[in-house]
Amino acid sequence: MKPSTMPERREGPVDPMPQSPRPEEGGGPRRQETGSPEKDNLMKRMRKVDPKQAERYRQRTGE
Amino acid sequence: MRLFGIETEYGITRDDVPEIDPVVESMELVRAHLEASFERRWDYAGEDPHEDARGFRVSGLQQDREEDDFATRDAHRPFSFHDMKSDLVLPNGARFYNDHTHPEYSTPECRTLKDLVAHDRTGERILLRAAQRRNKVLGGEHVRLYKNNTDFHGHSYGCHDNYLVARSIPFPNLVAGLVPFLVSRQVIAGAGKVGTEAQESGYVPGPYQLSQRADFMEAELGVDTMHNRPILNTRDEPHADRMKYRRLHLIIGDANMCEYATALKVGTTQLVLDLIERGAAPDCELDQPVTAVKQLSRDPDLKTVVKLVNGQKLSAVDIQESYYEAASRMLSGIDEETDWLLREWSETLSLLSRDRSRLVGKLDWVTKQWLLESFMREERIGWDDPWLTSLDLEYHNIHPDQGLYLGLEAEGKAWRMTTDEAIEEAIRNGPTDTRGGLRGLCVQRFPGQIKSMQWERIQFTGGIRSRNLDMGDLFDPQEVRRCAHIFQTAGSPSEALAAWSHRKDRAI
Repeated sequence: MKPSTMPERREGPVDPMPQSPRPEEGGGPRRQETGSPEKDNLMKRMRKVDPKQAERYRQRTGE
Repeated sequence: MRLFGIETEYGITRDDVPEIDPVVESMELVRAHLEASFERRWDYAGEDPHEDARGFRVSGLQQDREEDDFATRDAHRPFSFHDMKSDLVLPNGARFYNDHTHPEYSTPECRTLKDLVAHDRTGERILLRAAQRRNKVLGGEHVRLYKNNTDFHGHSYGCHDNYLVARSIPFPNLVAGLVPFLVSRQVIAGAGKVGTEAQESGYVPGPYQLSQRADFMEAELGVDTMHNRPILNTRDEPHADRMKYRRLHLIIGDANMCEYATALKVGTTQLVLDLIERGAAPDCELDQPVTAVKQLSRDPDLKTVVKLVNGQKLSAVDIQESYYEAASRMLSGIDEETDWLLREWSETLSLLSRDRSRLVGKLDWVTKQWLLESFMREERIGWDDPWLTSLDLEYHNIHPDQGLYLGLEAEGKAWRMTTDEAIEEAIRNGPTDTRGGLRGLCVQRFPGQIKSMQWERIQFTGGIRSRNLDMGDLFDPQEVRRCAHIFQTAGSPSEALAAWSHRKDRAI
């Protein structure tokens, strides 16, 4: 097989953080309108999560 | 020809020790699946991640040195490389093993989205069952498993979607057709993430983004998978007849909890491959695709536009709509699954713009954002509160009593494509119309007579004559079923191989 002739592209430095939309652009729905998750079950489950769980969580790099 | 599969590396931890040994924990988890002792069967001869689809072979990968370092560090351990990998082939044709210190479940090859979703969910059940057995040994519910892609400390692990592609399609056509689609696919397939990070560097808590993997994309094309990760991985490892096929190995995707997101992710990608094969993919070449992946991910309002080489500026939804319109023109009416995909793709893009709340339970990033924003209102906390990062992690916990997504599903708020019965069946058997199911059948019927296996071949023990079942070009569903019937009814592998060989000779 012949090596492909696809050129390597190098990207210039650009801030990957998006700029906020201008007011006239409207902005997307920031808040879902489906109400809250079931308070007795899901919110209880969420409150049980240890706030430091992610801080302790460490993995080796995978693929 | 449609054939696809998903490989998922899971995160693993224990809550009874301050630090885990990921090599041992992943190995022990995989082995907990076994009823009997581990037997080495996987044949690594078919694996060579150094071959590049652009037509050359790289002398080394960036991860090679790190792998060598780990091998040196791990050399003192009282087990071999093969013991550490603990590669298993399951009765449903899936592969379950320890890959780079993560338990990995690779689905068998599937031809339909229903099968694929069932087998992807089967992976969760099989890992959960292994964790339960491991926990019995440990004496408590200590092992936690996460179907996600980051540890929020700069370490990512993958969920790769794979597709069988005709070798006759020039690779540059795949690149041109796929890159803009993959950069924007996150509006459908992103799993959502709190905060930003970069490869093995600091984590910044804060604003929500669409994708778990976007922060880790550092190149447009490349053969590497652990460092300098590319939007389009160029690994040329077909696991099939190399003259006829490629395996497109995509590493950009997030691990999805939502069945709908999994189906749309893989289904729309397959449609784009169909478009490329017909020379009908839209021209959306991006000016700076790597930057665009990050920019689009970091704007959950979906207002950000990215520049195309032709000067146009499009949002992620605009790009997806270009692909949808081309697919609708070219592929409509081909089959039921294609028509379902076209309807759902169109509806999803429309809802993303006008009523995202109706995508809760369907798209992960929308669902997670809804959960977290509800919690923030209740607890009066902001995006930079570390609690939200932990909740992000727990969204992906695969324990039904702990995971946030699974809690939502238990309340009937998640859209289902599969059923618990279909998942139970997928634990027992692979798809009947792919070589994955045939592989599983051989494991069920002749477990003691298999010498080695790889994706495209099974080698049986004994005899002087060839004892290989070659599946490198066994993709026609009717042929698969004929071969499976022979292996189902034969008294031994040699009898089955002789009958299959005789049948193929007659067909010629």
